Amino acid sequence: MAVTEEVINTICLHDCGGGCLLKVHVRDGVITRIETDDSEELQYRACPKGRAHRQKMYSPDRLKYPMKRVGERGGGKFERVSWDEALDKVASELKRVYGTYGASAVLRLGGGGDLGQLHGAEPTNRLLSLMEGYSTTWGSASFEGALFASLTTYGTTVSANDRDDLLDSRLIIMWGLDVVSTIHGNNTRYYMAQAREKGARIVSIDPKYTNSTATFAHQWIPIRPGTDTAMLLAMAYVMIKENLQDQSFLDTYTIGFDRFKDYILGIEDGVPKTPAWAEAITGVSAEVITILTREYATARPAALMPGWSAGRTANGEQFHRAVMVLATMTGNVGKHGGNSGAGVYGQSYRFSLGRILAQARNPVDEGAPRRNNAFPTSGVIGSSSRIHNSKVWDAILEGKAGGYPADYKLLYVIDSNYLNQRPDINKGIKALKIVEFIVVQEQFMTATARFADILLPMSYFMERNDITAASGLPFYGYMNKIVEPYYETRSHLEIASALAERLGISDFNDKTEEELLKEIVAGSRDIPDYDTLKKNAIHRVNLSEPSVAFKEQIENPQNNPFHTPSGKIEIYSQQVADMDDPLIPPIPKYIETWENLNDPLTEKYPLQLITTHPKLRVHSQFYNVPWLTELESQAVIINASDAQVRGIKDGAHVRVFNDRGEMIIRASVTQRIMPGVVDIPEGGWYTPDEQGIDWGGCPNVLNRDEASPAGAFTSNTCLVQIQKA
Amino acid sequence: MQMGFYFDQTRCTGCDVCIVACKDWNNVPAGPASWRRVATIEEGRFPNLFVTFLTTSCYHCSEPACVAACPSGAITKREEDGIVVVDREKCRGRDHCDFCLQACPYQSPQFGSEPNAKMQKCNLCLDRLEEGKKPVCVDSCPMRALDAGPLENLRTTYGQESQTEGFIYSDEIKPSVIFKPKRSVVITSR
Repeated sequence: MAVTEEVINTICLHDCGGGCLLKVHVRDGVITRIETDDSEELQYRACPKGRAHRQKMYSPDRLKYPMKRVGERGGGKFERVSWDEALDKVASELKRVYGTYGASAVLRLGGGGDLGQLHGAEPTNRLLSLMEGYSTTWGSASFEGALFASLTTYGTTVSANDRDDLLDSRLIIMWGLDVVSTIHGNNTRYYMAQAREKGARIVSIDPKYTNSTATFAHQWIPIRPGTDTAMLLAMAYVMIKENLQDQSFLDTYTIGFDRFKDYILGIEDGVPKTPAWAEAITGVSAEVITILTREYATARPAALMPGWSAGRTANGEQFHRAVMVLATMTGNVGKHGGNSGAGVYGQSYRFSLGRILAQARNPVDEGAPRRNNAFPTSGVIGSSSRIHNSKVWDAILEGKAGGYPADYKLLYVIDSNYLNQRPDINKGIKALKIVEFIVVQEQFMTATARFADILLPMSYFMERNDITAASGLPFYGYMNKIVEPYYETRSHLEIASALAERLGISDFNDKTEEELLKEIVAGSRDIPDYDTLKKNAIHRVNLSEPSVAFKEQIENPQNNPFHTPSGKIEIYSQQVADMDDPLIPPIPKYIETWENLNDPLTEKYPLQLITTHPKLRVHSQFYNVPWLTELESQAVIINASDAQVRGIKDGAHVRVFNDRGEMIIRASVTQRIMPGVVDIPEGGWYTPDEQGIDWGGCPNVLNRDEASPAGAFTSNTCLVQIQKA
Repeated sequence: MQMGFYFDQTRCTGCDVCIVACKDWNNVPAGPASWRRVATIEEGRFPNLFVTFLTTSCYHCSEPACVAACPSGAITKREEDGIVVVDREKCRGRDHCDFCLQACPYQSPQFGSEPNAKMQKCNLCLDRLEEGKKPVCVDSCPMRALDAGPLENLRTTYGQESQTEGFIYSDEIKPSVIFKPKRSVVITSR
């Protein structure tokens, strides 16, 4: 008798902007193979991570049962307990901490990186809000600099064109953008190739010669990390001097160009931002800067596409603001084949989905005034009760006495290897040791999970139902439950519901998972019906042309003001001026990073560390999947000249260190990174020995726990030294 | 009829999805055996570099050296479509023989890490071809850089080029593959 194999469609969970279609083969309740989209074009084909889910999901390392800590916290010793015992303990600790210290002592961490709308942190957020509220964080580790710049300049975060719009571009500048590794919207790399084949010129500006550079770029311009803004300002200088800017566009749609011009020409501060000035800072020759400027100013339409990496530096907001000003100076905003300079931030059309559970108001967020560096429109995220994601360890260690909003006693960590993925792990370990209780919802024994007092095993996305609206291209996805949950794993909604019962929250939720998902779909103006979406797992929205951000504002400015206070594109921002912080200037400026090459610290630590996205991981996820790790193992990537003077051979293990930490890691010696710069791709799993030296290649043992003044993550601003081990 | 592959080297980003999709579909565990591989070719010195990628599998040669070399009759070339297949029951195992591997200039015969591993390699996804589908590597490529089918049809569609960066065409065994090559144009920065 033939064994029947069923094929069920679903959407890959991970929030790389992809949301690719997976066709999952299942036999006798076990997943046997995974195919990808082979239906109508445009197909959403999965990457190697999407194809390796079977090995991750059935990994022998997967957590199977609830566990409680035995022995010292962080020692990694656990004992299996029942769900009742685990949930009773979490509920009683929550009650105790709420009763003893108040709501702000409860700190909810993590909950990002996935596309699921229902499962994730939302159910727990609702539960804790219905208690007395909870403390949480702000500051996206991905794109906070881009977000700040987009809100400043355009008054919205919805500022990018659809990716297929690249086909109309005559010049594309990938600025710190590697779409092969980061995906950044489905089929972005496919459109990049097609744009090149159609004749677009493509330039890559990046300290690394990435796979995207290798495949798409006609020209590679290596640039010192943290100096990108200086090059952008010099490009503005060349445009102004050669009168290449689109003055009528600037006159019609923007405010503040004259003040920016005064700064560029040196009228404001006596320093003209010439290409020669930028060459000394960036390492890019004045001639290269000048030629590229002329190309960008004259090749219309042109798309200046920043990744988020150059914005993940000290003062990274300035990079994104400067990119947007250049896009404005060249009149490329709101036009097909152009780009607002938002590059890869935000889809330019709006998804419509119904409410994800009824969101409850969080009294801790609402009880505190707005942060100085938050916009009036930022809502609860702008609450001064929130801690920046790179300052959480410091906040726990210092508390109110150190100027933080609260003393933190209980950590609730959801779907996040938070210790691994936030800067200064050695400080993090001290912080995790002093709080009173830690509950972690996880699938694997991560560095963070090892510090749990109660560890709750989570279901995989193929073991529950969920829905998503992906970014970059217009489609909706349904994540189907394909098999029963692994051992005793449970979903986020199930756990929050069970806790609500124990905490006496009667109005948490009275609907099933499917009823909630149906409500979400019913709230959409695009999706015809729930059952068809569930069956196909994808609903493609047919647009007559690629969506272009700000097209209406540019075509008909009278009736369509920008969402800024002035109604114009704000090169000068009064809102930012009102923040009254010299490090957050009202026009974009070049401000030196800390730990830059002029820092005396370079005598000890002469190499600039960057932490790029790994091709075969989603941040720290998939680190434990053999099909992927056998193709690319964690290493520090170093230029051959830097390796040679240190006597380091390709493949040898080396010491990487600074005052914050130390690791032993394999060296990958290459010509594909500029001298003076080394790269440790983020997401290696922190694996300390008895001396606290990391053997897992996690760059956050080296990174500094400091946020940029307006909130950008600074994981590409760090000095280190490397020695033969 | 001879089945074969087409590879557009200008499109390949070196993402490795063809490798993982192949391992998943054909149930090949992590380890030394990989029916499809991706090589990175790097030339030049900073900052003047040329980098490209080459994905390789069995090329189902017209005159397969492995078939001739196998003393056990384990490797055969199918009459109907020219696909080269291995009967692992007949293979003596690597502890005794690796003549096929020695004979093949493309390292297509693969061996797992198990004791006396039997030879395994790409069979152009025979099971998928029977269902009217393309091999899984072809259907996995996000760049649409791969194709497979009757070689004559591929030549009609894509041309005759049999050489590319990192690959040397062997006139002796005649691999069934055509390319869109990426020439060594050095990208300069300054």
